[in-house]
Amino acid sequence: MSDWMQNLQKTRYVMDTLLLVSFMIVSAPQSTGVPGHEWLSLLFIVPFAVHLLLHWDWIKQSAKRFSKKITAKERFSLVWNYLLYLMMLLATVSGFLVSVALLPTLNIELHIQDFWSKIHHDSATLIMPMIGVHLALHWSWIVNLTKRMRVKRAKA
Amino acid sequence: MKYLQYHWKSRTFVVLAISILVSILLISLELTDWAAQINQQGYSHGSEGGEGKGIPSALRYILPFVKELVLIGVPLLLSLLLMKVLRWLRRAKKA
Repeated sequence: MSDWMQNLQKTRYVMDTLLLVSFMIVSAPQSTGVPGHEWLSLLFIVPFAVHLLLHWDWIKQSAKRFSKKITAKERFSLVWNYLLYLMMLLATVSGFLVSVALLPTLNIELHIQDFWSKIHHDSATLIMPMIGVHLALHWSWIVNLTKRMRVKRAKA
Repeated sequence: MKYLQYHWKSRTFVVLAISILVSILLISLELTDWAAQINQQGYSHGSEGGEGKGIPSALRYILPFVKELVLIGVPLLLSLLLMKVLRWLRRAKKA
């Protein structure tokens, strides 16, 4: 079995890379085409759920940590993560509500509201800079893990 | 995958249940005056015939990814810079 599967940090690193790459593919409907964008968005729920499952301990402790004495950076990161989660849900939900390919294929007809079109476009655009800040907040972890993964690959 | 498999059924159920509940709350936004106002005004983005007709087809596939890299990368770099400045200021204050 691959080494990264035996280590929580490495599993997170591999799965988070997969999440980022799949997010970038899903967020480019001009490249994938709208039907591809919608079906891939449905699949995107899997790496997103995996990301949450791999950070289960953090989620469980987050409410307690907020009331404890923590650094300003940690507090900001905590609030930011929850905002990012809400924004991701908003983009996903609004995406389903403006679906022109996925839901009609499943014989579900919806009246598309301009409100949801605007919300989907705005939230999907806003998520990108939010992810940039999210990555910056975990930058030292990303750099450390990249080094650890490289060392392992060099040895192999 | 042992970390992912640990209690995965119950955890996935909790994650999905909370996400569906929050999603239902988010859907209720369409009942607000804000939504009614946007629906009344109408909304469209991009041009009907597709943007950038004169752009080579290969670029049309690449440019959305470049846009994403910029939208993620610039805030990432600015945040790293800000954190560095804040760390430097804290150290200067202590000294």
